[in-house]
Amino acid sequence: MPASDKALVFDIKRFAVHDGDGIRTTVFFKGCPLHCIWCQNPEGIRADRQVMYLKTRCIHCKTCENKAFGHQLTWVRDDPELNHKYYGTFDNLVKACPSGAIQYDSTAMTMEEILERIRDDKVFYRDNGGVTFSGGEPLQQGEFLIELLKRCKEEGIHTAIETSLCAPTELVMEAAPYLDQIFADMKFYNPQDHQKYTGADNRIIRYNIKMLLESEAKNRVTIRTPLIPTITALETNIRAIASYISSINPDVTYELLNYNDLAGAKYPMVGMTFGMPDNTRRFKAHEMKKYYKAAMDGGVRNLITETQVKGGK
Amino acid sequence: MNERIEHLKRRMLDEERFASIEQAKIITRIYQENEDRSIAKKRALALKAALEEMEISIDPEELIVGNRTSGVRAGVVFPESGCSWVNREFEELPTRPQDRFSVHPEDIQQFRELIYPYWSHRSMEEGIREEYGEELKKISRVVKINQTDHAQGHICPDVETWLHKGPAVIRQEVKARLYMVKEGEEREFYECVLLVLDGAITYIQRYANKANRMSIDIPEHRDTLSMVAKNCRNLISRPAQHYWEALQSIWFLFVILQMESNASSFSPGRMDQYLYPYYKQDLRDGILNQEQALGLMECLWLKFNQIVYMRNRNSAKYFAGFPIGFNIALGGKDEAGNDTANEVSFICLKAQEEIGLPQPNLSVRLHTNSPHEFAQKAIEVVAKGSGMPQFFNDEAVIEPFQRDLGISKEDAYNYAIVGCVELTTSGNTLGWSDAAMFNLCKALELALNHGVDEITGEQLCEDFGGLDTYQSYEELEEGLRKVIDYYIEEMMKAEEVLEKAHQNYLPSAFLSCVIQDCISRGVDVTRGGAKYNFSGIQMIQVANLADSLEAIRKLVFEEREIDAKELLDALRADFKGYEILQAKLLNKAPKYGNDIPEVDNIGAKWAEYFRNRMKEYRNYRGGPVHTGMYTVSAHVPMGENVGASADGRNSGTPLADGGMSPSYGRDMHGPTAVLKSVSRLPESLTTNGGLLNMKFLPEFFDTEEGRNKFEQFLRAFVDLKIPHIQFNVVRKEDLLAAKEHPEQYRSLTVRVAGYTAYFVELDGKLQDEIIRRTAYASI
Repeated sequence: MPASDKALVFDIKRFAVHDGDGIRTTVFFKGCPLHCIWCQNPEGIRADRQVMYLKTRCIHCKTCENKAFGHQLTWVRDDPELNHKYYGTFDNLVKACPSGAIQYDSTAMTMEEILERIRDDKVFYRDNGGVTFSGGEPLQQGEFLIELLKRCKEEGIHTAIETSLCAPTELVMEAAPYLDQIFADMKFYNPQDHQKYTGADNRIIRYNIKMLLESEAKNRVTIRTPLIPTITALETNIRAIASYISSINPDVTYELLNYNDLAGAKYPMVGMTFGMPDNTRRFKAHEMKKYYKAAMDGGVRNLITETQVKGGK
Repeated sequence: MNERIEHLKRRMLDEERFASIEQAKIITRIYQENEDRSIAKKRALALKAALEEMEISIDPEELIVGNRTSGVRAGVVFPESGCSWVNREFEELPTRPQDRFSVHPEDIQQFRELIYPYWSHRSMEEGIREEYGEELKKISRVVKINQTDHAQGHICPDVETWLHKGPAVIRQEVKARLYMVKEGEEREFYECVLLVLDGAITYIQRYANKANRMSIDIPEHRDTLSMVAKNCRNLISRPAQHYWEALQSIWFLFVILQMESNASSFSPGRMDQYLYPYYKQDLRDGILNQEQALGLMECLWLKFNQIVYMRNRNSAKYFAGFPIGFNIALGGKDEAGNDTANEVSFICLKAQEEIGLPQPNLSVRLHTNSPHEFAQKAIEVVAKGSGMPQFFNDEAVIEPFQRDLGISKEDAYNYAIVGCVELTTSGNTLGWSDAAMFNLCKALELALNHGVDEITGEQLCEDFGGLDTYQSYEELEEGLRKVIDYYIEEMMKAEEVLEKAHQNYLPSAFLSCVIQDCISRGVDVTRGGAKYNFSGIQMIQVANLADSLEAIRKLVFEEREIDAKELLDALRADFKGYEILQAKLLNKAPKYGNDIPEVDNIGAKWAEYFRNRMKEYRNYRGGPVHTGMYTVSAHVPMGENVGASADGRNSGTPLADGGMSPSYGRDMHGPTAVLKSVSRLPESLTTNGGLLNMKFLPEFFDTEEGRNKFEQFLRAFVDLKIPHIQFNVVRKEDLLAAKEHPEQYRSLTVRVAGYTAYFVELDGKLQDEIIRRTAYASI
């Protein structure tokens, strides 16, 4: 079976009530062209399947040590340390681990399998709930996604996407007609800052935002900026973003997302290091006000101020 | 909440709770004076005397008066049903772990000298013990037979008729019937009814007199006290004519029912429906406004908290927080599919929102066409965190009521709830809804372990096989079937003994006045006088049963991941030395509550097997036997009695809570997946009531958007035809702080099971349990 028949999904979250209207199921696609240092879904960055170690689930039975081949792991004090550079699969350990502490971070799923999971909660979607595609960057697996979106629309399921828009413009524009809600990030106005903190230039993102905000989908788009203390959360940055997007469409909806201080929790599981200082805290309500003001100064009329983004995936 | 209500509430909560033997002394004296008369007559005379003699009191600020003791929240010793436990446990009432009562030392002495010696061989409890005690004990690890030492209760009386007629008119009607019947049981029944109605009328008169006297003595409350006196006076001679009178009349009814039976759960039922005409008329006539209507309702709300039910130490563990089960059902659809919620429904929700105490047990009936405004108001009250209202689903109740129980369409649409979550019709059912609890998990233990109790090593039933001898999963299921069949047979024999005992020892003339068909047929309610006569058996606990069977099916028989003999050894050792195996059981087999049909259907299959077996029986009153899935707080003691199980649960730890809920922490895919799993249990399994607990953190309700999403969740619950759902909305920090500083959290209420209790009054173990329950915070 060709690779494109399946998508690599690292989670399907039901009763997702912060990812769009109504009650939703969020499908998290793996792989992202960016690697933002504050990323809260680090397992979503790499495009290939990785093995994870969930320390809190481990019962330290050492079954894995007995079942391991060659360089798969070393046992350090009470915990196995998985060798993420190991060449082969970890099927043997995932199967043997009795507690589920050793797991793959994602599953390759067919379109039908994903649809089946989406349909599971159809009774909860009612008038405005539905499916949200997130990631990673869902457009990384763009052809698959567009096909999936078409199938969802055929079944009358409300669709939304959370995207970095760091993707080919043709893909973005091809997906747009099948999306009822588009949440697109604009983290920085300045390309150098974007390059520095996300590892990629943002000119394609800016262009895609422009295309979207000029398209027939423009009223279904919400531009979002995650407020990362000292990094994106600068009034100059917010004002510049606001000014850019409102100059394209003065009625654009803009949302400022508070920092998620639990974001670092998943890094150790996937053998990565979190780039943000531990003591970084989310903004208090009164601290958010100056950013709201910067956005409005930049010309945004439709600013979402209430939503508190919590937890993330 | 106005100042008057605040005062009343504070005084009520501040008052010390005592055990009371006042009524017990009266009952004993009347029995002794009337030795030659029948028990029915003695009981009627004893109630009459209590109504005439019990000390009464009125708080000068009360607008609704009446209580069964002069102090509030007293634990009434009630000897006719049974008081040997009081004899054993009297001294420890102030210090026992759950539901404490203060004790006057002289009461202990009087109890031991005057009361207990008479009853030690005459109460129902003793009668049952003598006749069937051994047998009950023998099956008790699997089947807990309820109501062996107290009256049945769990009844929704015909409040509407009581309001429309009142004691005086009912008395006239019964008198006319008595005239037609010359002799026999029927005549005696009517004679008893007349006695208790005379008592009821005197009782109300006494309140009228007392209020009248107080109105003279306490000039600052003269206006309200003379109104109270007038209401009482009116109710002596005629039916209630106004909203205030109707509330007062309702309360007298429930006080007297409690004085007759001292039982849990006499429930007012659909109060918004039968009160609405009074409300509307008074509003039209300009003698009542909405604010007054709410204030009066809140006075009644406080009253519902003044009667508690004192249980023995063990029973208090099963039903912690002395739930008394004044269940009120709001809204619901009519036969045309329209919602019936009215202004009184909103007043009731508002009263709950402001008072926030454990009683009444407030329920809302939802259905496909429930109006948005009503749902939203109910959600606002849920968000306050008292655990109420709980929600019932017309789409899961009305049809099975007709199909499975033969209830008429009209009665099915008019269903209500008694106690916690037990379903009933309004005013014409003796549902016997807490007949027994059947521990399916213990049955599985015996089927795996050759009929031997895993904890004690005793041979409890015949050896139908064991995990080490079954050659296939099918053989194991066959073994389980045999164990279940054996205990069903024994349980039904015991039920018959129980029902006969209630007929012999606890005929209930007053209750019979307010259950349809008893008066017209001249038959006491305990003898089957009601229009409908059911018995309800609770199946405990489908989550653990399904998870255990699926783990064995998959890991032992299908994948051969675990050796059968090794699993049996591990269970017997409570997994000591078998931690890896336990981890596999926990993690390598699917669990109920995650929307996985294979495992959910195993639970449904066995519950259906049990339900279908019940169709083969009729109860002693001639009615059908059916099933429910709720445990109240019994999942803790029931779990103490079940050894390690194949779902990975350790010996003696709690079973899943609720009745339909998944095991703690096993539901990994959020609340929608839980609902989907629960929806695989057919509605026929829960015609006696089902219970699903969920816990949400309060942030969810902070925004209108959150509340709207919650409503969508509830509407999906309706579409999925799940009979019941309830929500705890509290912060974990609140609970931890309350445990630490109980004195600061005296009025904090939590949902325990099918009812709400004061958190600080719960046993520490149960408190921990509630703290641990899965919390669905933000995603």
